Amino acid sequence: MAGPSGNSAPASPADHQAGAPISEAEAIERLRQVQDPSQQYYAAWWLGRMRSHHPEAVPLLCLALRQRRPRDPGAGVEENAVARNAVRALGKLAPLALAAVPDLLEVLEDEDDGLREAAARSLGELRARAAVEPLCRRLAGGPRQAGAVRADSPRLMEPCEALLEALGDIGQASEQVMAVLEPFVDHDWPLIRSAAARALLQLSGQERWGALLVDLLDHPQLQVRRAALMDLGAAGWRPALEPIRRTLAENSLKLMALRGLVEQGSGEPAEPALLACMDELL
Amino acid sequence: MEDQDQSGPSKDMQASGLNRLVEAVRRADSSQSLLSATRDLAASAEPEAATVLVEVLGFNNPGAAVAAVDGLIRLQGGAVEALLQLDPQNYGARAWAVRALAGIGDVRGLELLVEALGSDVAASVRRAAAKGLGSLRLEHLQPTEQQRIRQRCLQTLLAAGHDGEWVVRYAVAAALESLASCPGSSGPLLPDLLAGLQQLSDDEDGNPPVVQLRARLALERIQQS
Repeated sequence: MAGPSGNSAPASPADHQAGAPISEAEAIERLRQVQDPSQQYYAAWWLGRMRSHHPEAVPLLCLALRQRRPRDPGAGVEENAVARNAVRALGKLAPLALAAVPDLLEVLEDEDDGLREAAARSLGELRARAAVEPLCRRLAGGPRQAGAVRADSPRLMEPCEALLEALGDIGQASEQVMAVLEPFVDHDWPLIRSAAARALLQLSGQERWGALLVDLLDHPQLQVRRAALMDLGAAGWRPALEPIRRTLAENSLKLMALRGLVEQGSGEPAEPALLACMDELL
Repeated sequence: MEDQDQSGPSKDMQASGLNRLVEAVRRADSSQSLLSATRDLAASAEPEAATVLVEVLGFNNPGAAVAAVDGLIRLQGGAVEALLQLDPQNYGARAWAVRALAGIGDVRGLELLVEALGSDVAASVRRAAAKGLGSLRLEHLQPTEQQRIRQRCLQTLLAAGHDGEWVVRYAVAAALESLASCPGSSGPLLPDLLAGLQQLSDDEDGNPPVVQLRARLALERIQQS
């Protein structure tokens, strides 16, 4: 459910080096050293957040995403956290990070599904066409395999939400991609249905997928309504203006969704109506 | 709401009705019952309800806080003193109070709004404060006093035109437009105000398209009026 601003769950390292502003050069040095992973974790996040253009940022992030280490509670950094933040940062560093697509494609095959999830999101943000085939391959089993709940955790076999959204963001509307996406609109989890409808709407512009997302704005769970808001925004589905205004959710999220309608969408309702609604929600 | 068929309920009856509504808020033992009790109290539109509605802002219940903010805005000037007496340490409640004051537009809220826009950590609070600074009601003041306050609002808004969050800059663009549309005294402010909008309509500062669009719309409307 990455929003129009294109970022996923915030990775704010509030508990690492909280709040201390650093320079770009300092961030590069912190990422380069390998003794203290919590410094690397912060530096990777910082470079992505600040959309760094430093020539060493992408090469160092590519090194960092190969960093695998077991969980080290003493350092306050969980398993593979540095690699994950490096992957996330690369998604925000287009066009320089396009050079890192082959590295990200490797991470898409990692055994850590958290890393696969981050890689999918970043490949989507980078609009990496080379990722379409592997993303489709991971989803090919459909809701009953790729989308099956694991025996040992409440997660799915594949990070389906991120994989589906990446296909929508990359924007290749081939028959093969549509055929992979469609079965997921019947997944048991509303968040997965939302992600699938978002991608299908982005790729086809068909009204039925927009209608599916609008229905989810009435879902009893706030978390689902929030996801539908972000997904409508990402797809820029302007007919959702009124349902977005009415749904029960924070104004902040409605404003993000409406920004998506303005920036990603076209047609009716036109911009003055969208902006007037945003003004009311401030 | 009760006694609708009576032409004028007595003062006592009003008071006891209010007491009942206040009691219901104080006794609420679930977030749902707090929400509905707050809605009822907010709907009473009784100035005496202000203190209790302000208390609800500190209960860490977003649904009830929204209802309380609506009720406080309905009370207009009658809610302002209670809002200003909030403990500055009670951060959560203060964020809601900024929204209420922004919605009321009473000039007594000026300092709190200025401070919130300049330094609150939450973008949603800064956004509400910006909106409020564009829509203070000043008609009852002397023209020179109006001018002084509008100047203060303008300078605060212009500084927030560099806020790190797009939504705050969006709110600044909208607020600058309402500030420009104030009857009478906006003339001397206009050059700075237009320059601020011009900057927000530019993509060089990393303003996203939606902020640029909003600023351009403001510029068009101001220049047509």
